[in-house]
Order: sequence, then structure tokens, then C-alpha cells
Amino acid sequence: MSRLEIYSPEGLRLDGRRWNELRRFESSINTHPDAADGSSYLEQGNNKIITLVTGPQEPRLRSQASFSHASVSVNLNITKFSRMERSKASHRNERRVLEMQTALVRTFEKNVMLHLYPRTSIDIQVHVLQQDGGLMSSLINGITLALIDAGIAMYDYISSVSVGLYDTTPLLDMNSLEENAMSSVTLAVVGKSEKLSLLLVEDKIPLDRFESVLAIGIAGAHRVRELMDKELRRHGQKRLANASK
Amino acid sequence: MAKDIEISVSQGRFLIETLKQKVRLDGRRFDQMRDVDIELGKDRGDVMVTMGKTRVHCRISCEIAQPYEDRPFEGLFVISTETSPMAGPQFENGNNTGEDEVLCSRIIEKAVRRSGALDVEGLCIVAGSKCWAVRADVHFLNCDGGFIDASCIAVMTGLLHFKKPDVTVSGERVTVHPPEEREPVPLGVLHTPICVTFSFFNPEDTEENIKGESNNEISLIDATLSEELLRDGTLTITLNKNREVVQVSKAGGLPMDALTLMDCCHKAYNIVERLTDQVQRVIKEDEQTRNQYAAILSSENARES
Amino acid sequence: MADLTDFEAKFQVLTQVDGSARFESFGTSVLCSVTGPIEPKARQELPTQLALEIVVRPSKGVPTTREKLLEDKLRGVLTPVLVRYLYPRQLCQICFQILESGENEQFHSVRELSSCINAAFLALADAGVGLQNCFASCCAAVISNADQDVLINPSAEQLRNASSTHVLAFDSENGREPDSHLLLLESSGDFEEETLNKILDAGEKACLQTVQRLRQALKTKVEQDLVWRT
Repeated sequence: MSRLEIYSPEGLRLDGRRWNELRRFESSINTHPDAADGSSYLEQGNNKIITLVTGPQEPRLRSQASFSHASVSVNLNITKFSRMERSKASHRNERRVLEMQTALVRTFEKNVMLHLYPRTSIDIQVHVLQQDGGLMSSLINGITLALIDAGIAMYDYISSVSVGLYDTTPLLDMNSLEENAMSSVTLAVVGKSEKLSLLLVEDKIPLDRFESVLAIGIAGAHRVRELMDKELRRHGQKRLANASK
Repeated sequence: MAKDIEISVSQGRFLIETLKQKVRLDGRRFDQMRDVDIELGKDRGDVMVTMGKTRVHCRISCEIAQPYEDRPFEGLFVISTETSPMAGPQFENGNNTGEDEVLCSRIIEKAVRRSGALDVEGLCIVAGSKCWAVRADVHFLNCDGGFIDASCIAVMTGLLHFKKPDVTVSGERVTVHPPEEREPVPLGVLHTPICVTFSFFNPEDTEENIKGESNNEISLIDATLSEELLRDGTLTITLNKNREVVQVSKAGGLPMDALTLMDCCHKAYNIVERLTDQVQRVIKEDEQTRNQYAAILSSENARES
Repeated sequence: MADLTDFEAKFQVLTQVDGSARFESFGTSVLCSVTGPIEPKARQELPTQLALEIVVRPSKGVPTTREKLLEDKLRGVLTPVLVRYLYPRQLCQICFQILESGENEQFHSVRELSSCINAAFLALADAGVGLQNCFASCCAAVISNADQDVLINPSAEQLRNASSTHVLAFDSENGREPDSHLLLLESSGDFEEETLNKILDAGEKACLQTVQRLRQALKTKVEQDLVWRT
């Protein structure tokens, strides 16, 4: 392990952020208008993610159709060149990827108004072009944006962020260097509430610090929601201007 | 799962209705775990865990293997969780790509292996060429909910109970001593993670859950199979006695208030404390019965008589 | 000397299957579950008879060719004793979980195989699947001394020193001699024809004795099940 100073005594992180600052968050929607019903491109720090949503459409297999609600499927494509070192094998059938797909499906199943689209399927394709820590949270944000672009009814935004705990200091929205050096929590919040739709902890964290980490995560997720909301409104206004011309 | 087993609509409604009236079908409180019965076999590392009707068998074994090239000082540790139709008709033989199977094996993997519960450096024999490869084979025998919790207890008890043969190393030559020749040595277990699974139910409509302030969602500890089939969300918390959160997995499902989730953590800690004590007690008792025979058979005893 | 055909049987150990039994004898312990007759998948279906899905899972490690071979041998024993034309286009899943092997798995599988056969009989009876006859199995080892002694249900230690090992299974209605048939004879190692005849004699005797004991175990179980009738 290299001797990196994860958090300097002056309170600065590796990339110059303070503990409670998010990474650069840039998003755009309707990036692939001809390829899918809804699409988004998200850059969260160095994470670069394309999300495509097709649906509600007729299910490919008759057996997938449910008479009472739509079925959601997520197909996660982590490209081989997404990390610093090119990976040799495809990630497609890794158990880690299968787990992430399941978690994503289960997160959005409860937030999309599936009962409005019976006998249909909503297929979500995610392409990870580049990853640099906090992948799961970027995936969730990307999917939220793409679903909104597709015009699929949802109850609220789902915004997500990862938080680390360095000694006793929580660090918001970690990059991969930070992620490798400490334990991380990924959480996804519904709208402006404090309700967690997803909560994943993969390494050890003292139970007594957990609550403060969650609090910072929720605040961070709310900030992400605002950023997404701003971009959506900007896009909406642009379209409205074009339409009225 | 191979075939989705379903619960009839009337049975499901009845169960939700009883939950609204704060009653569980087996008479437990919402935050009460089923009694855990841990049974140790004759061989070391042979554990049967029974929780209500749920039954999981775990077998620890070891052999000498070559370590990974990039980690010459570490031994190998594999946990295998494969299902067979024995546990119930919903499981298919050798098919472990179902959503629940993947989540279950990943959570156990994170709880035990990734958290460093087993000291893999202690498994090294000759750096770079020989090490112990420890396997934990989890056999799901009967499914009535709570597979994750039961398997985690089974694997941890197994690791604490197991002993590997003693070895002596002289240069590149490794001698493995059979148990009759030298007392086998226990594995280095660094902490005992225990999983507690919560199941969430939403007695009201979705709007209330997402927009409302009431937080009326029901959370149950250690659901049975029929409760598992009806639940809207699940949370598995893994903790150890040192007040460390080892792993938390709430992979989607019903959105829950953060404070409720914290409350779940604290409830889980009490259970973890109790179960860790139970595991240690069982191991200790077993050790005593084994030593009892050793005392009878030892030559020291013979001299006295 | 302890009676080597002795065993301990437990019924209905599992709740999610139609029939189950745990068979334990001298360090070997096998759990068997039976689900059926159920609807088969299209590729398993047989137009005129009951299809069998047999799964053997080892206590240590993942199933290998060794377990596949055991599955095949078990299929050979179970197919003729099941009343399979009674259940056309249906499937019976029989799973075996070895809990304790009781022998060195690398070299032997005789104890596991014979225990599996006995466990299958109990579990099939528990599930209420139609059987043509009762059946039982035992294993044998020949010690490499001048007399070529035959040991029935040998221990792991005795197997290690054996010149040949054998598994036998016989069917019999009630454990009396004249009506029994040989269902399985699996031998490996070096032995004479004469020794084989000796093994068949000793094995038949042991199997018939086991049939009687298995029937007794079943009888006790049925009596307990129907305790409400008296």
C-alpha cells in the first residue's frame, strides 16, 4: 500500500476536496433519442455511465409478462477498459455483477409505478465506460435520470451516494483510491425523505459511528437529487423553448 | 429459484392481517429470533444448525494447495453454498444463478470471507509454494426461511470447531502429522460475524410508504418461508461482538426510514451478542466432552489406578 | 463383536419434501430426500414410466465424477424396484446428502453407496412411492491374508487394508431367504471367483438381515404415525 495521505491535517482529501464535498456531478438526459425510449449520460467524478431505458414494451417472452404489473430488468455492462488496468475476462456473469443487477432491479421495482404498465417489461441497459469508485451510486443516479427521460411514472427521485469512514471522519462520495483505503457505505435515498431504498456496507465500521455516516450520506444524496433536478429542469426548459419556436 | 413457489392470495392476506394486529403465526414477537440449535458432529468442523424448521449443515475441510501467485503468504479459503432440491422444490440442482441464491452466497462471502474472519496468513506453510486450502461446504437441507443467518452461524461454528493437522517444515519438505501422532491445531479465527435478517412489510399503500410521515412499516426478525415469500424488503446486518458492523445489505426493496434501520442495527447487536455466546458455549462444551475421553485414555490415568 | 448391520434411522427429518430419512451406521451418515411424483421438465419426461432425478452431494467439496458414478449406480438399483409404470410422464427427485462419509473419499465409496441405498429405501417408503419389493444393501471387504476373510460393512481402517471391496444389494419381501434377488454387485480390486461366491453368500445374509431391520424401523415409524388410531 502506497503512503498516500487520504485526509490531510488541514482537512483536504487526495483530490483537494473537503470531507463533505461531492465530486464533479455532470449529467445530461435524452442523449440517445433514437436508440432508446429514455437515456442519460452521467459523469460523477471519473465515473462515466451511459444508461438506456426501453419500455414499457411487450416482453420478449410471454412467460415474463405479469398481468398485474410491469417487470423490470437491468443489464449491466462493465466494459473491460473501464478501470486503469484492462481486465481480461468479461464481467458479465460475475456474481458481483449479478448481485448488483439484482439490487438495482429491487431498488427501482419499489419506486416505479409498475401497476400502471401491466403485461409489459421495462428494460434498463447500463454501460460503464469508466469507473472510479462509488460505482453503485452512480448507476442508481444514471438509471433514475434515464427512467425520467423515458417518461415512466415514478414516485420520486432515487439519489445515491457513497460515504467512507476514515478513522473518525466520514468522507462523502469517494473515489477509488479512497475506496480501497477505507470502508464504504453506499446508500440510496427516496426523494427528499430520509427513507433508504438501498443500503450496502461491505467492510467493517464501528456500530457507534454508523449513524453519523448515514446522516452525512443522506445529506449528500439530497444534494445529488438537487443536481439531478437542476439538470432535468434545464433540459425541460430547452425542449419547451424548441417546441414553442 | 427454479420454480417460483407462491403463496395463495387468501393465505397471504391473512398473514398480513395478523401482522397488522401484531401477531405472528408461530407466536413469536416481531423482534424475536427462532431458537438456534447447534449440533456438532463426531468429526471436527461438522456442524448442523437448526432454526425452527430451517436446517443447514456445514462441513469444514482442508487440504494442501498452492497459493495464488500474487498472494504467496496467504492460504486459500472458499465457502461453497450450493442448493439442491432437498431444501425444497423451488431449488434446482447445481443452478446457483437465481437472484436469491446469488444474494445469499454473496452475503455469506462478505460476512465471513471478506471481513477476514479467518486468518488466511496463518494458513501459509511454505511461502509461494504450499498453503492450506480451507473449504466450508454449506449444505441447505431444509428451507423455512433464514438461510443466510443459519449458514453464517454454521460456517463460523465450523471454523471455530475445526482443527487442521499439524505440519513440520524443513526446507521444502513438509510433513503432515496425522491426529494420532500430534494434536491438530485450531484455525485462526479473528472475529465471529453473525448475520441477522430483517423482513419489511408495508401494511398501507405505496404512497404512504414513500410520502407519508407515519413510518408504519412492519419489521420482522428471522422470517419463516411464508413470511419471506410475502415480504416487500429485506435487510441483512452482520455484526460481531466488538460492536463492528461487518456487512449490511439492503439491496433495494421497501424504502425504510434511516432511524428505523439504525434501530434494527441495535436490536441485531443484542441478538449477535447472545448468539456469539451460544456458539462459544457449544464449542467449549464439546471441547470438554472430547477432553473427558482423553483423560480416561491417557496414560496418566492408568498410573493412578 | 458389534453387529455390523446395525444402524440408526430417522424419518421425516425434512419438511419441504415428500419423504426423507437419515441413515446412520458406524461413522457413515446419509440424508435422503424424495420428492415425487411431480411434474417433470420436458426433457426429463418419459412417456410410459416414472423419470428419476438422482442427486448425490458429497460432504466435502463440490460434486465430481465420483458422485456422478454413485448417481448412476443408484439409478441402476432404484429403477427396477420402483413401480415405475404406475407413474407415467411423472418425475421423482431423489437427493442424497452425505453428512459423514466414514471412509477415505479419495479411494472408496462403498460405505457411502450402501448407506445411500438403505436410506433411499426408507425415504421412498416414507414418501409413499410404490415399490415392487423391499431392498437393502451392504458392503464387503476382503482382507489380503491367506484365508481371504470377508468382512461385512468394514470400517475405514479395514477398507484401507483390503485387497478388494464390494457393494451388494438384494431385494426381498421380508428378509427370508428363498425370494431374494441380486440388484447390485460392484467389485473393485483383486479377488478369486471362489472368494466372490463367499462374498455373495455373506452379503446376501447381511442384506436379508438389514431388510428385516429396515422393515422393523418402518413398522415402528408407522405405528408411531398411527398412534391416534388406537
